[in-house]
Amino acid sequence: MLDLLLDPSFAASIPRFVTPILLAALGGALCERAGVFNIALEGFLLTGAFAAVLGAYYSGTPYLGAAAAMAAGMAMGLVFAEFNLRRDGDAIVVSIAINLLAAGLTTFLLRAIFNVTGAFSDPAIVGFGAIRLPLIEDIPVLGPMLSGQSILFYAALASVPVLHVFLARHRLGLRIRAAGENAEALRAGGVSPRRVQLLALVGCGALCGLGGAQLSIANVNLFVENMSAGRGWIAVVAVLLTRGRPWPLFCIALLFGAVDSLSFRVQGMGLAQQFTDMMPYLATLTVLIVLSWWRARRARGDVS
Amino acid sequence: MRIALNGVTVRFGLVTAVDGVSLGIEPGEIHALVGENGAGKSTLMNMLFGLVKPADGTIVIDGVERRWASPQDAIRAGLGMVHQHFMLQDSMSVLENIVLCAEPVGRFGFVDFARARARLDAIAESHGVSVDLDGQLGRLSVGERQAVEILKVLYREADLLILDEPTAVLTPQEKDRLFDTLRSFRAAGKAIVLITHKLDEVMEIADRVSVMRAGRLVASAPLAETSKEEIARGIVGGVLPAPRARRAQKPGEVVLSVDALTVARRGRDVGPVSFDLRAGEIVGIAGVSGNGQAELVRALTGLERPRSGAVSLRGERIEGRSVGERRSLGLSYIPEDRQRMGLALGASVSDNASAGRDDRRSFAAGPFLKLSAMARFARTLIENYRIRVAGPRARAATMSGGNKQKLVVGRELSRATPLVIAENPTWGVDIGAIDFIHGELMRMRDAGHAILLISTELDEVIALSDRILVMYDGVVSGEVAGGEASRERVGALMTSRAAAPSGPEGMGEVA
Amino acid sequence: MAAHGTMRAVLPWVITLLWIAAIILALLLFVGAPLGEALSGFWQGAFGGRRHAYLMATLSRTALITGMAISVMLSFRAGLFNIGGEGQLVAGGLAAALTAILLPGPPLLVLVAAILAAMLAGALWALLAGVLQLYMGVPLLVGSLLLNYPVRYLASYAVAHPFRDVPSGMVQSHLVPQETWLAYFPGTRLDIGILFTLAATAFALVYSYWTVHGYHTRLNGLSADFARTVGLPVRRLTLQTLAISGAIAGLVGAIAVFGIHHRYIDGMLVQPLYAWTGIIAVLLVGMVPWAVPLSGFFFAAVQTGAAGMERAAGVPKEIALVIQAVIILFVASRVSGALSSKEGRGDGHA
Repeated sequence: MLDLLLDPSFAASIPRFVTPILLAALGGALCERAGVFNIALEGFLLTGAFAAVLGAYYSGTPYLGAAAAMAAGMAMGLVFAEFNLRRDGDAIVVSIAINLLAAGLTTFLLRAIFNVTGAFSDPAIVGFGAIRLPLIEDIPVLGPMLSGQSILFYAALASVPVLHVFLARHRLGLRIRAAGENAEALRAGGVSPRRVQLLALVGCGALCGLGGAQLSIANVNLFVENMSAGRGWIAVVAVLLTRGRPWPLFCIALLFGAVDSLSFRVQGMGLAQQFTDMMPYLATLTVLIVLSWWRARRARGDVS
Repeated sequence: MRIALNGVTVRFGLVTAVDGVSLGIEPGEIHALVGENGAGKSTLMNMLFGLVKPADGTIVIDGVERRWASPQDAIRAGLGMVHQHFMLQDSMSVLENIVLCAEPVGRFGFVDFARARARLDAIAESHGVSVDLDGQLGRLSVGERQAVEILKVLYREADLLILDEPTAVLTPQEKDRLFDTLRSFRAAGKAIVLITHKLDEVMEIADRVSVMRAGRLVASAPLAETSKEEIARGIVGGVLPAPRARRAQKPGEVVLSVDALTVARRGRDVGPVSFDLRAGEIVGIAGVSGNGQAELVRALTGLERPRSGAVSLRGERIEGRSVGERRSLGLSYIPEDRQRMGLALGASVSDNASAGRDDRRSFAAGPFLKLSAMARFARTLIENYRIRVAGPRARAATMSGGNKQKLVVGRELSRATPLVIAENPTWGVDIGAIDFIHGELMRMRDAGHAILLISTELDEVIALSDRILVMYDGVVSGEVAGGEASRERVGALMTSRAAAPSGPEGMGEVA
Repeated sequence: MAAHGTMRAVLPWVITLLWIAAIILALLLFVGAPLGEALSGFWQGAFGGRRHAYLMATLSRTALITGMAISVMLSFRAGLFNIGGEGQLVAGGLAAALTAILLPGPPLLVLVAAILAAMLAGALWALLAGVLQLYMGVPLLVGSLLLNYPVRYLASYAVAHPFRDVPSGMVQSHLVPQETWLAYFPGTRLDIGILFTLAATAFALVYSYWTVHGYHTRLNGLSADFARTVGLPVRRLTLQTLAISGAIAGLVGAIAVFGIHHRYIDGMLVQPLYAWTGIIAVLLVGMVPWAVPLSGFFFAAVQTGAAGMERAAGVPKEIALVIQAVIILFVASRVSGALSSKEGRGDGHA
């Protein structure tokens, strides 16, 4: 087991799993802090993954693929805002609808545009390459993890401190926090909480879009139906557990990503695939249970 | 800044909240706006501040007619408002709270906190209002929070300051400090509007008084030209209700016994609290909101497990029992928050009326409901408690605040349990309903029920209670017998841990 | 005056319908489908066919969707955001198939035992989510959802390895004994599973409107604080309601096994999104019990109609999912306040 954990190729695979969860969770954090109960991260991710393939396929460059993914994610954010904020639909209902919409639209367009079902792969889909960091790659264990990843991984890493500082010191960050805590005070101060929440949703869409791009044009170069496979929900759990604070979020995403990648690794070791597939969810549930239980105990004052 | 409101009307759907009000506000003047709950005071000021749009009428400032698209316009024009419910963010620092929505920004939209800090230091010096800018707001006392609200207004360089019921949550000392600040503003030539329903405060500080009733302005005059009685008559629109008669009776056996009860709370625990409550008496618990009353009530009703101590109801230990068990042992509870706890607003009056009844046989046959029996019961409550509502099938949400409260009171009192816990039972209801509810509580007392009345309205506690316990900082700071109850005595206990018979320092000048 | 008022009430719905129609039209134009054929294909697919064969398919689907809708409706009305219907459904389906395959005995007894086992499995899986919420503080919303995945893979493993029908070459269990298959209505290819759904619906109606338990859970759903304040046993109500919900979901799994597939096939209950369609069927009608079967029928028709559209006009049948999502988006905002979202987020201290 220890051998496995120290195996450089295992370390190198972790960021592939961490990146989508982390990006989606950071997006979710924006919504959480702004007081938008967005549990449609799954749908946002899936949309991004599809749009990334679409963009990369037609433009021939992964950068436009990523841009398309961001744009598609932001569009989903706008749809969420239209129905949740402007038309006042219940956030949970809107989330469920958007998750279904994403699943439906991506499979529908997969057939309508590429005329395939299930999956679409084509040499014309140009994915992101690995970026090697000269000195860093020689560090044992950490080196292979930090070097040789897609640019999206580095973007995700950078997003953590950026989001932290943004929420702490930026005007919009301040207002986002206010919208989440006491929106009435924003209104009394002459700032529309809904506008702030709209911006948070759009930002969330952009980050989730990038997360989707990591799934489809960095980890692989293809789109598979429902390829987000619950990662958006894991991101939702990460957001709920950390109440949208960037650094704790990073740790949780790292943990979930590592388990995800571990389950991928142990598949070759004789364990039935169904059980390894189950692992990320069981790990998420376990962390959720332990942290919730601990928090509930603390809230009751048994531990202080 | 000189403000004139001309023929302002505000409607919410079919309800006219403010009806053709014209009012002038002068600089260097403290203008008290009085009236009972729902008279339209807050709505009028929310309109002036751009939070609600008038259906008719104009706002004229220094001779120029103005229209607000949002409060931002009003703030830019020099208006500032301190709302009854503070518009603050608990998790943010004081500094962040003050700059929020008026942030000085540097590059890329990042907030220039240093600049804000420098300006606030200057303001604090000139007006003598100061709070630690780096402290987290959630840790501040109510009085300090209000100071933050006032700093917010000053930071925006407002010339007109509107304060909505600013003293409702303050101790007498904090109130004095606030009034000193207001006097300094008056001296600086700012215009101040004080929304209140406390006449003593009006008499103490106002220069001009405007009285509103049912959405209309019924009087507006300099304080010198009117009297307390005249203002009071204006508020209620006629004769004042007579003070309540109290029948002398000897309290019976102990119904509720609380022994060294402690309850968990953020920061310091509440308690230990001990007291007895006997049949046929009303014991009032007075105190400024947030001094542990809510926790005590939650522990007594079973909504929260106490940390330690014992509670007995008619000799039976109940501290470990569930809410339902306590209720069937003889406890009824009128919660402060009727919207969330007292009623299920989305359910019908009939459904609300029968909730929590323990005489299951009278509304159920086996697992099935007897809907007609439930409706009949609701109709009885509607009649007996004079609830104005379309009928048992109407949704609870369709009733006015006073009628909602009457339904809660009716449901709980009709259970006729030995113990009734009433928590701010008249909060936010009209005078007619207050009078009725007080009457019902007295009737229950006279009939030999034990009543625990928790209220932040001093008048209410004094008017109804046989004995008064005062809570301060989580403990009972003292007990005052009903007869000798005086404002000063209770007021002193409300602000101090020491239960010294003579008021502690600084309380002498309370009116 | 009255006409004016009616206009005011109807107009927003007309606009909503126009929006939905416009979006569907845009999708059809996007794939270049001949509109007339698409529409008649839809109609045929949902209600037509030789001897109404497609209508029967729609009804068969209605049985499953409505069943799942009834299951989640009972939870939702009680204020419980149980979106783990899928897991409960799979648990029920698997339990039903395995019981019928492994248990010897007279067919009718086996069938009854299998259905009970399915209901028990569904109930237990739902209860697990409830226990996590009440005793561990895990919000029901995410707890119930995450529990979908383990059971899905567990079922997949069961029919891929220990209970696989290897000769068939597919990832599926053996057939359940033929004597336990649900009968067809005379002269049709529609199994009597829909009767079970109707029974569940009738139960839900009576339960919701006329029982003390339904009354109490309704109050809890409208305001959990209120329910606690008037002393309702909130924890017990929560667990009981979840158990009822889960049992109905398990029953639906059993209907799918004995009425339609006659075995457990990997993904047969997950891929068609029965649980999610059930959820949106409830949301469409704002959790009004009597309207749920109609809503279930409507969404079943959208799905079979889309399949018809694909046959007739080459429109990818996945359009059904898009149509459903769009309808819910528009309707969710019109039936506002259907769910009290504050309660749902609660940190689990119900």
